[in-house]
Amino acid sequence: MMSLLDELDPDAAEPILIAALQDPAREVRLEAARALEAQDSPDAVAGLLKALEDVEYSVREAAAQSLSAVKNPAVGALLLEQADNTDAGVRAGIFRALRELRLPAATLPAVKALPDEEARVRREAVAVLGWLKAHSALPQMVVLATSDPDAEVRRAAVGAIGFSAETLVSKAVESALADSDWQVREVAAAVIGKLGLQELAPALIAALNDSHWQVRLKAAHSLGRLREGGAVAALCDLLFDPVSNLRKEAALALGEISDPASIDPLFEAISDSDPDVRKAANLAYCRIKALHDLC
Amino acid sequence: MQTHNIEVDILVIGGGTAGPMAAIKTRQKNPALKVLLLEKANVKRSGAISMGMDGLNNAVIPGHATPEQYVREITVANDGIVNQKTLFAYAENSYAMIEELDSWGVKFEKDENGDYAVKKVHHMGTYVLPMPEGHDIKKVLYRKLKQARVDITNRLVATRVLTAPDGRAAGALAFDCRTGVYTVIRAKAVILCTGAAGRLGLPASGYLFGTYENPTNAGDGYSMAYHAGAELSGIECFQINPLIKDYNGPACAYVTGPMGGYTANARGERFIESDYWSGQMMQEFHQELAGGKGPVFLKINHLAEETIMNIENILHGNERPSRGRFHEGRGTDYRTDMVEMNISEIGLCSGHSASGVWVNERAETTVPGLYAAGDLACVPHNYMLGAFVYGRLAGESAADYCAGIELAAVDAAQVEAERQRIFAPLARGQGLSPAQVEFKLRRLVNDYLQPPKVARRMEIGLRRFEDIRADLQKMAVSNPHELMRAAEVGFILDCAEMAARASLFRTESRWGLYHYRQDYPDRNDANWQVHVQVKKDHSGNMQVFKRALEPYLVELEETEKKVYQQLRIQPRETISCRR
Amino acid sequence: MAFSQIDFPVKVNPEACIADKGCTVCIDVCPLDVLAIDPATGKAGMKYDECWYCLPCEKDCPTQAITVDIPYLLR
Repeated sequence: MMSLLDELDPDAAEPILIAALQDPAREVRLEAARALEAQDSPDAVAGLLKALEDVEYSVREAAAQSLSAVKNPAVGALLLEQADNTDAGVRAGIFRALRELRLPAATLPAVKALPDEEARVRREAVAVLGWLKAHSALPQMVVLATSDPDAEVRRAAVGAIGFSAETLVSKAVESALADSDWQVREVAAAVIGKLGLQELAPALIAALNDSHWQVRLKAAHSLGRLREGGAVAALCDLLFDPVSNLRKEAALALGEISDPASIDPLFEAISDSDPDVRKAANLAYCRIKALHDLC
Repeated sequence: MQTHNIEVDILVIGGGTAGPMAAIKTRQKNPALKVLLLEKANVKRSGAISMGMDGLNNAVIPGHATPEQYVREITVANDGIVNQKTLFAYAENSYAMIEELDSWGVKFEKDENGDYAVKKVHHMGTYVLPMPEGHDIKKVLYRKLKQARVDITNRLVATRVLTAPDGRAAGALAFDCRTGVYTVIRAKAVILCTGAAGRLGLPASGYLFGTYENPTNAGDGYSMAYHAGAELSGIECFQINPLIKDYNGPACAYVTGPMGGYTANARGERFIESDYWSGQMMQEFHQELAGGKGPVFLKINHLAEETIMNIENILHGNERPSRGRFHEGRGTDYRTDMVEMNISEIGLCSGHSASGVWVNERAETTVPGLYAAGDLACVPHNYMLGAFVYGRLAGESAADYCAGIELAAVDAAQVEAERQRIFAPLARGQGLSPAQVEFKLRRLVNDYLQPPKVARRMEIGLRRFEDIRADLQKMAVSNPHELMRAAEVGFILDCAEMAARASLFRTESRWGLYHYRQDYPDRNDANWQVHVQVKKDHSGNMQVFKRALEPYLVELEETEKKVYQQLRIQPRETISCRR
Repeated sequence: MAFSQIDFPVKVNPEACIADKGCTVCIDVCPLDVLAIDPATGKAGMKYDECWYCLPCEKDCPTQAITVDIPYLLR
């Protein structure tokens, strides 16, 4: 049926699809919710908002997804009216849909939702604030990043605060770098490099010994971005780690830092068994020689 | 048999990636224009991205890469044989296109602050932008086509560009692959967006439709542009891809790369020296297979469970959802097993290599009124985003061009001659089936054109292709569907002949495996730092000639050149700037 | 082909298929136009053995009547 509707003029198809959102058959409601993606007429939006309360999870998801594709701020205002809906799925869907709109008016409702009892709502609300780069909400976001009971919420929150280099954020990221969940630590390590949090360089150097190589990799990358001279010795050790992706990242970071002290280990890494490591080591080696006029 | 006549301002042939964009842009530029989008399959699910796309690998996003940097890198990646103006036109419009697609609802990966999550893969710039929900892209395009009120016609097979006495494009001739109705479409401008020539080589399985490219793309546009008198370029620079063995999809090392996956030999070691999905890389692949260190594998079994789940979601959800089922059927688990890879059949595709219809930075071919965009148009390493950018450029250029001209008079002789040619197999009653002829032709393509190339083999190949040309006159079919397959054999044969002649002409080796001549194993910049063009001359013969490179807009800096050179395959001991 | 049994990859469940009620979704989306309505049954099925294994027919079928068979290799 949906395929036949595709053949119709979009304006003609819309009322049929909106009606289909109330169809008794789950499949029809689901398809209708999907087909209404990005339709921004008041009727379509009203229909999709109602579908956020559907008994079926998949239909609610589809409706939220379709609403999120609406790039119309007027629709955002309608979404905001539902921000304290009693259904957690609806609340999460609302915030998910609001994220891409980046409406300043969404700041307050999102902050209000940060202590929501449902993790999925907190996760979506903090994401809205991250996309808005909502400076005023940083204190509340930081609480989630450091002490939310749900690891996925902490991970999202650490990423979301990665737009400001102020002390508040720096402290939270430092604590996140010691989180019990490796994925939180991984994001924290990346954020330090992105924000250039020089004061956290010692913590990053410590993270080069993390139990998860994914965290070690992001730490090496960020130390390169920080051009942290204090990391040269540790990164040189990493040039001979068993994980080749890590050796490559260490070589690239040493190239960024460009300390002549890493010349010899890099030269050795040019004979690595892995071509990507060799390439990275060679690039770093040539760069250091050129910068320090050693050629 | 009845004839259907259509008159429009602009005809877009091919509704895959570049075509819908071109059609939308013509209408946005001038809403008064009557635009027809002609598609051989169905616009909803046609072309190279029928099931979506898992990422951009040539996104030029401010802060991550500059247009100059991109132009330099592609110049090096394509061994210097580029028209930098066309690369610039792409690079400068790349970001605006991403923003526009984003506003249409195409989803690109963004970080937690809503900024594009560009991944570093190449050494100089950063160009990879994943599309975790890229399966919806055709749906978005379809919605936009409807909103732009573009007329669409599905299941119409265009076979020739109609030309006016002065040589300009005047429309196209086509037939319906279900009803068999012959259709004459008059247009002021024609935009070819028919995709790659994906049915050139025969896959290792021997199955005609088990190709890497969507097999609907038989090289229709290459053949049509050729017969319309347009220049084609770089045809000797074949497309060859790393594939999952016994499956027609790519292994997508570039998707898994940012997450830590890589291409490995039997010992699980990385061996690829080249940074690009290029002929150099395929050469290394080929050597590893031939040198006893194969088979070659995609290795991700060292990654964390969370990462593997993420990779599975992307790879199995988007571009080729059949991949997950294939691995399942074979008992392959990314967590424990490496995935065996192989080398694809040859094809022509500028999106991945450089073989295509010659276009300038406005997507104009050498025939007035004829435009080309996408995998078919020669803008090296253009990929999906390049198809969108050039679709836009073609649409806007064609809209401007139309403003000043009238429809050309129809050449009745041309219309009649094509009718005779195209419908002959239906009238023949008895003869060869198109599948039989196609199998023979593509087997010969493998035997004589598959690199490494050598003159004598290609010369014999050309003689065999002449035999096939005689077979074309013996094909017989019983319905319009088979008639479509018969027409496609003609397209494939034209592509095979162009591929052989262009490859014979360039008496050097370049682009790694894509044009590796065993009889001329070295690169010869003194004689061959030029484009090789193919064109139909006035007496109807295939002409191959050199076209000088346009002066570079961005010179490669010496130090940079040195670094790139050092990244080429060579013995390990010499890879260092210490001399 | 009369002597050889061909196992077509696109399997249509005739119970679920609603082609006889006017649905042509799978037939429309197939890039190679290999599907058609079987005049004998009114249901969709493979008419030409030219499948690319791309799966829109399966994904877009409104009643999940289609399975594309992909064993340990394509062919």
